Amino acid sequence: MSEMRQVRLSGFGGQGIVLAGLLLGQAGVMEGKYVTGSNSYGAQARGSGCKSEIVFSDHPIHYPHLIIADILVAMSQGAYQTYDEEVKESGIILYDRGRVVPNMELNVKQLGVSATEISLKKLKNKQVANIVMLGALVETTGIVSPRAIRKAIALHIPKRFQALNLKAFHKGMELGKQINA
Amino acid sequence: MVRAMEKYIRTGVKATPFCPGCGHGILMNSILRALDELNMDMKKMLFVSGIGCAAWIPSPHFNGDTLHTLHGRALAFATGAKLYNPDLCVMVISGDGDLSSIGGNHLIHAARRNLDLKVVCANNMIYGMTGGQVASTTPKGFKSSTTGEGNPHRPFDLCKLVAAAGATYVARYSVTQPLALIQALKKAIRHVGFSFIEVLSPCPTQFGRRNLMDRPEEMIQDLLRRCISEEEAEGLAEKELSEKIITGEFEP
Amino acid sequence: MISRWIKSPFPKGVYYFSGNEAAAEGAIAAGCRFYAGYPITPSSEIMERMAVRLKEVGGIFIQMEDEIASISAIIGASWAGAKAMTATSGPGFSLMQESIGYAAFTETPCVIIDVQRAGPCTGQATRVGSGDIMQAKWGSHGDYQVIALSPWSVQEMYDLTLRGFNLSERYRVPTLVMSDEAIGHLRENLSIHSKVEIWDRKKKRGRPPFGTEEEGGVPPMPAFGEGERLLVTGSTHDAFGFRKTDDPEVHSRLVDRINQKILRNRTEITETEDYYLEDSERAMIAYGFTARTSLYVVHQLRKEGRKIGMLRLKTLWPFPEEAVTTLGKRVKKVIVPEMNLGQVAGEVKKFCACEVISLHQTNGEVIGPETIMEMLKKI
Repeated sequence: MSEMRQVRLSGFGGQGIVLAGLLLGQAGVMEGKYVTGSNSYGAQARGSGCKSEIVFSDHPIHYPHLIIADILVAMSQGAYQTYDEEVKESGIILYDRGRVVPNMELNVKQLGVSATEISLKKLKNKQVANIVMLGALVETTGIVSPRAIRKAIALHIPKRFQALNLKAFHKGMELGKQINA
Repeated sequence: MVRAMEKYIRTGVKATPFCPGCGHGILMNSILRALDELNMDMKKMLFVSGIGCAAWIPSPHFNGDTLHTLHGRALAFATGAKLYNPDLCVMVISGDGDLSSIGGNHLIHAARRNLDLKVVCANNMIYGMTGGQVASTTPKGFKSSTTGEGNPHRPFDLCKLVAAAGATYVARYSVTQPLALIQALKKAIRHVGFSFIEVLSPCPTQFGRRNLMDRPEEMIQDLLRRCISEEEAEGLAEKELSEKIITGEFEP
Repeated sequence: MISRWIKSPFPKGVYYFSGNEAAAEGAIAAGCRFYAGYPITPSSEIMERMAVRLKEVGGIFIQMEDEIASISAIIGASWAGAKAMTATSGPGFSLMQESIGYAAFTETPCVIIDVQRAGPCTGQATRVGSGDIMQAKWGSHGDYQVIALSPWSVQEMYDLTLRGFNLSERYRVPTLVMSDEAIGHLRENLSIHSKVEIWDRKKKRGRPPFGTEEEGGVPPMPAFGEGERLLVTGSTHDAFGFRKTDDPEVHSRLVDRINQKILRNRTEITETEDYYLEDSERAMIAYGFTARTSLYVVHQLRKEGRKIGMLRLKTLWPFPEEAVTTLGKRVKKVIVPEMNLGQVAGEVKKFCACEVISLHQTNGEVIGPETIMEMLKKI
């Protein structure tokens, strides 16, 4: 099942990890892929550890949970340290530069994305770091198409926040282009 | 049961199951008279009851739809039926233990929602069917099969309870006041919203014989003596008042 | 009694829904127009979606004061003519048991979704388990039957909730959809077709609503307000609903009938799926989420040339004993992985002639492929 790709988004509650996972999975379904998505978080709604795992395949997925990540996104140091060793050698880690100090000894491709910084400074809103990261993820991995993400944003984000989220997504894609170059 | 009320009685029903001296027969008659005076269509009447002697007042006797439910849950079942078919006139008839003890949570929430349910609570101040155990309505000091030395706890004032919870028609009468009771039942049926009538009904078998009122007429005499109106209660000394039961309309 | 095809109330398409959302949509498709519920993790999303959807389709939604009130309200609504549902999880499911017995004894169609979590007691509210399987069958007192289905995907949360309503209406029996946290919260592709097949309860004026001469038959069910002057009671009753609380014959006939109408129709009700069983020497019997893991493992082992297969139980109650018995004759070993201490394994042992191994885990986590692989190696 080489066509299977497993993505783990991680951080803490309140960072929009679950929403980013929803958009990613929704985009996959819109492209005709088979997708499974599951989340886990602590009992409190804000602040505790949080992850969203999405599996993509061209065929029906038997075991729906992530077994080993092709892609890890870490939005916090805690999340990074918990999951950094559960990534395939051919995989990739995207971490939030400024929130995570990466372990350079890992034998995996790692890219720092200034998601929170861009969100705060360029978009004047700390709530869209997740979407900036999503943009970088889509640009650097091609896991789904940008068009599908835009459709997913139109479906799941309340109208009054759509422009902001689209802007954040495109900022993230730009960032992805730069760091991948 | 007088012949005039026969059309409200289900075919095949012969006698009521109540003990001699039980007040539930009078209450049954009063409910049917109220329905008759308002010319209610029994095909649109739904009678819901829980478990206990009073729950047998409508089931199987009344010739409309009847839903004899679980102990304490009559109001929850009634809520579902009324919400789905608002054309039904839904009357809940059950006892004090059923409605206010095991079903107490449903009672306050049904009152809070002010859904159009007509609740008739037959209060005999005891668990009759199960053998005379103390109830949440047994007055302090009275004896039951589980309080041989007298009930150590205070009873609920059911009318105050449901009024505080939001019921919009609230009244209390005794079966010794049948004319006033019928008038109240008619008002409750016409009222749109949660109506609650507490009806004091003697239980000589389980309550009377443990509390020096062995004979049915002694319980009737006791109710006649103790039930007074709010006006009559005014100016009574606290000690005197503590023995009395105030009847009348409390809401609106 | 026959089914009919209706236009799907939700537009045809492929969606990325959670299991809980899909269950709500399956209920709406089946014609559910009454929902009463009480919040409890991990089932609350079903109630939240029903609150929105019932408003859109002209149904009734109410949040009740507790789970006992919720199931009681849906039984009341069902007798008023509604297809009605509630959803809950372990602690709420425990509270509902007395009323489930009432629904079984009064032959009231209704659907209860139990999104199981790690019990007993409050346990781990956000974690998975499947410890309510035996409770689903035996939770209320006395001898009665229910139908219990076990979805393994988001698609089946939709399909089996829809089927649950159809079975409930056909057989006048409470139907339980025994989901779990992992399936309820999983998001996955959900295909909704343009048409759905639905069954409605049968009505016949003047006929007894609680009796039939037909073996395994289901009596007609009128609604309140139709002029039938119904007599519904949870006490022992005759064919017209009259209480007969000290007639031994009426009691045994009624208890027998409400059991037989399900058991005699078992082959019609139960569904199972076979995977690689033709030449298997060992087989897993699995249900719910764990069947996903099991199938994954079976595929891996088949690639290595191992002769292993799987029987999936889509219906848990009535128990698909014919399929299990047949399998027990065909293979040497049966392995039953589940997120409890062997509840279904015990049932499998009743019907399997071969060796039955219970493989269980109760730590609030799903059973992963590695766990099953390791356990299989030890056998």
